[in-house]
Amino acid sequence: MAFVGQKLIKQIQTTGLKATVAQRLDDAFTRFTAGLSWNDVRGILRGDPPPKPNPRVKPHTEGFWFHIRPTFYHEAVTTLYPTFRLGLLSALFFTFEIITGIFLMIFYTPSPTYAYGNMIDILTNVPFGKFMRDLHRLGAEAMVIVVTLHMVRTFVTGSYKKPRQFTWFTGVVLLIVTLFLSFSGYLLPWDQLAFWAVTIGTSMADAVPLIGPELNLLLRGAPDIGAGGLLRFYLFHVVLFPLIGVIFVAVHYYKVVRFGISLPPEMEPVGEDNARKVPPEKRVPFLPDILTNELMYAGVAFAVLAVSAATWYSAPLEHHADPLVTPNHTVAPWYFYWLQGLLKIPHMIPFLPTSIAVEVDRFFANVFGITPKVFWGVIVGPLMFLLLFVLPYIDPNPSRRYGDRKIMLSLGALFAAVIIYLSLAGIPTGVPITGFGYVGGDPASEVGQAFIPDEGVGPVRRLPYSQYVVGSFPINADPNTGSAGLDSLIRDIHNDMEARKVRPDPLGRRLSAEATGTLEVKQIQENLRQVIITINYTDEAGNPTQFKKYTFLHAGSGYAVE
Amino acid sequence: MSIIKKIITFRPSFTLRILTGLVSILILLSVCTFIGLSDRTRLNVRAAQFESRAIEAGAKVYYDQCARCHGANGEGVEGLGPGLASEFFVGRIELVRDEMQQQSIRVVVPSERLKQIGWTGSLRDYIIAVTESGIPVKTSNVWDVNHPTFGERYGGPLRGDQIRDVASFIVNYGLNPLPNDQAILPPAPGEGQAARPTPVPLTPEQEAGKQVYLAQGCAACHAIRGVGAQGAIGPNMNRMGAVAAERIASDDYKSKIQGQPPATTPEEYIRQSILYPNAYIVPQCPQGPCQANLMPRNYAQVIPPQDLDNLVAYLASLK
Ligand code: HEC
Ligand code: HEC
Ligand code: HEM
Repeated sequence: MAFVGQKLIKQIQTTGLKATVAQRLDDAFTRFTAGLSWNDVRGILRGDPPPKPNPRVKPHTEGFWFHIRPTFYHEAVTTLYPTFRLGLLSALFFTFEIITGIFLMIFYTPSPTYAYGNMIDILTNVPFGKFMRDLHRLGAEAMVIVVTLHMVRTFVTGSYKKPRQFTWFTGVVLLIVTLFLSFSGYLLPWDQLAFWAVTIGTSMADAVPLIGPELNLLLRGAPDIGAGGLLRFYLFHVVLFPLIGVIFVAVHYYKVVRFGISLPPEMEPVGEDNARKVPPEKRVPFLPDILTNELMYAGVAFAVLAVSAATWYSAPLEHHADPLVTPNHTVAPWYFYWLQGLLKIPHMIPFLPTSIAVEVDRFFANVFGITPKVFWGVIVGPLMFLLLFVLPYIDPNPSRRYGDRKIMLSLGALFAAVIIYLSLAGIPTGVPITGFGYVGGDPASEVGQAFIPDEGVGPVRRLPYSQYVVGSFPINADPNTGSAGLDSLIRDIHNDMEARKVRPDPLGRRLSAEATGTLEVKQIQENLRQVIITINYTDEAGNPTQFKKYTFLHAGSGYAVE
Repeated sequence: MSIIKKIITFRPSFTLRILTGLVSILILLSVCTFIGLSDRTRLNVRAAQFESRAIEAGAKVYYDQCARCHGANGEGVEGLGPGLASEFFVGRIELVRDEMQQQSIRVVVPSERLKQIGWTGSLRDYIIAVTESGIPVKTSNVWDVNHPTFGERYGGPLRGDQIRDVASFIVNYGLNPLPNDQAILPPAPGEGQAARPTPVPLTPEQEAGKQVYLAQGCAACHAIRGVGAQGAIGPNMNRMGAVAAERIASDDYKSKIQGQPPATTPEEYIRQSILYPNAYIVPQCPQGPCQANLMPRNYAQVIPPQDLDNLVAYLASLK
């Protein structure tokens, strides 16, 4: 101690107090920035040209964070094209999810008894809770999009080719990690949406040949999703997948720096990678140009997310999970629609005449013991990822030029089209025009589902409580209930029913022509009403049938504003 | 084409980068500030919304599970369960909202029932406790049943959140409770013992009839006190002999009977009701007006004549 003090006193004696303090502060600052003094930073912020020798490369050799970044980029990759900064955005979203995720973690217990209540607490009792939840959910969905687009761009620019095959390979791992992160998070709110989407998802594991039941048990911790499954998904979501993600981002990014970001294909001699041979006049220094560019991207991305979460975006929370009640039209999360679409392919070999296709199916079922569902969902689905993994190793074309890659680019477009088609088939309404993938009950129950969906809001709940009038009203073209809102709701139901009488659904079913409906509103309590839709129709077998669906509506439930 | 080319080869200048970055951070900070300032009120609004939705969900649980014993309007069902919407049970409440939009319940008239049994917690907690785990000690035999234990932990069908929802629903009756004379009130602890007539010993025929009653599944729809019959689809048969006499004397019966000659004795009425249920539809069932075609119409083929005689004798003896 005495020694340090002596030196300090000596310095003050020789240079004066003010200069000593200034110099000591600057020392500390330089240590913090790993090599840049206050004046250096000021120069950077003012846009001064770098002095010689250039102190701005020091952080790259001295400090960890800059040492993992290159000291300069090739000028050609600093415009929007060719990277569109999608890799950077993927990394930013990943970080963003970790930050918002840690916030949510504080208020969450992975147990069926508490999870749903915790979600309601986050929404009603935690300052910034809803904001953080919306941000986390929106960020997760945006991340899936951004990572996919990043893959599309590296495919289109041919950046997966030699020497970057392994970069692409680790990228596919990251794509899977991203999807699984999103999917495992889906279950955590423990609402109906989550529970059934994940039940569908994990039931695919059950169909895997040979090890299916064991795999399923491993995932769910029990034959059905319950406390064990929730805890496992939670641990996947907050430990396993983030860990794999961090490790693979590190490997992925090491490869990117090692080979340099590939130049636009037209700037590269065919088959010869020149990304690391950057002539001095083409170098754009990391400090300050690339860094400020990235900070700008981060700022804009986070601001867009925050404004979205504060305005139009609201993460859904349905009813509490109930293993005994399967809501109509349960779906997987949208990024797995394509998988659900695959599951709907009826035969092992599509497009054959039905009689032959059935024979083929029987043959496979008898000889290999696999059904079309298992074949398409469990074998073909994962094979698509396998195709992605091996793509750079089987593509024989050394050229990255667009003109030389017409076949590969067409195949890529075809692949994308198939995925989009399958995704459309995956949702309950099916593909427009062809109707492939349509699932729906009889037309009367579809009227019920359209107006009082099992989960989600729907027109009946969206009409405010005050717009309802107690009584029983026939559903017809000009209702006269004394309430404009209720009249227009009844008209809508009428129109929907009429449309279903004329236009058959993709399975060829119509609502019988003489079908009639009533809408009944009952007062249950002072501020609670029951709305009942009843439809009398004739079913396909010609029997008079009644369909009934109801919901309760409280004066303060506020669906109208959602 | 050249526009696209311009966009994708765009390289923002240093100043533009700094400016855009600063503006974004400013937007980010103002969104956070805005949310920080307004979150209190919005949290409260949302809390009220979720409480409303809990009441909606509770209503569904109530009609699925409780209405058969506690009535479609919470008025109670004779012999099966007391009213829960009565002012005696729920008291009277008001909803108040303060300027922070915080919603709370003000108890205007507290529940007399809680006072009577000496429950020191809140009404909500009492409802949750009874629903979850039943009434552990039977204090009165006016009810034929012990309270079912609905909680999952006690082997019942309801999860904790569903029980909390149904409690919210019942408490909500307090905004406009039923007057006490329109609901069935529970007896005070220790009372109600006398409300039950001492059972008259059955003759061997009547005893045989009781066994037919149980064996033929009548109990699934018709309750009879003290014999383990708890159905609540058709009217209860607690006083069937007396009720039959009242029915044949009523104008409603005389005007509505169809396809069969009007019965002249209680025994005839009961026999007719079993063999031709649609000849006369009873006006009131536990869950609203009685429906035709509910009761099976094939007992003439199913029940042997001797058994039928015994069954009629048994039901006619209940007075
Ligand atoms: C099988 C008939 C039955 C069903 C079904 C039933 N109850 Fe009851 N309930 C009773 C009876 C009988 C009593 C009175 C028990 C006693 O005092 O011994 C009672 C009492 C109660 C009480 C206490 C009332 C008081 O005055 O102290 C509450 C609260 C209650 N039930 C709630 C419910 C709820 C909520 C449900 C639905 C989830 C339900 N019950 C379903 C028969 C039933
Ligand atoms: C599926 C339910 C169901 C079953 C099972 C059933 N009933 Fe009924 N019962 C009803 C309904 C509903 C009514 C009232 C409507 C009517 O009058 O038809 C009724 C009415 C009656 C009445 C007239 C009651 C009155 O208050 O006037 C008698 C007596 C009767 N049933 C006896 C029986 C007997 C005895 C059996 C068994 C052999 C039986 N029921 C089985 C549903 C049922
Ligand atoms: C969490 C997910 C991911 C992160 C954080 C990430 C990050 C990055 C970054 C920062 C780059 C630098 C160049 C750029 O910005 O475009 C990059 C390049 C690259 N990425 Fe990714 N990536 C991810 C997923 C993927 C996926 C799914 C693929 C493909 C299957 C992929 C394949 C590649 C390839 C081939 C390159 C080299 C591109 C070139 O050199 O031009 N990455 N990645």
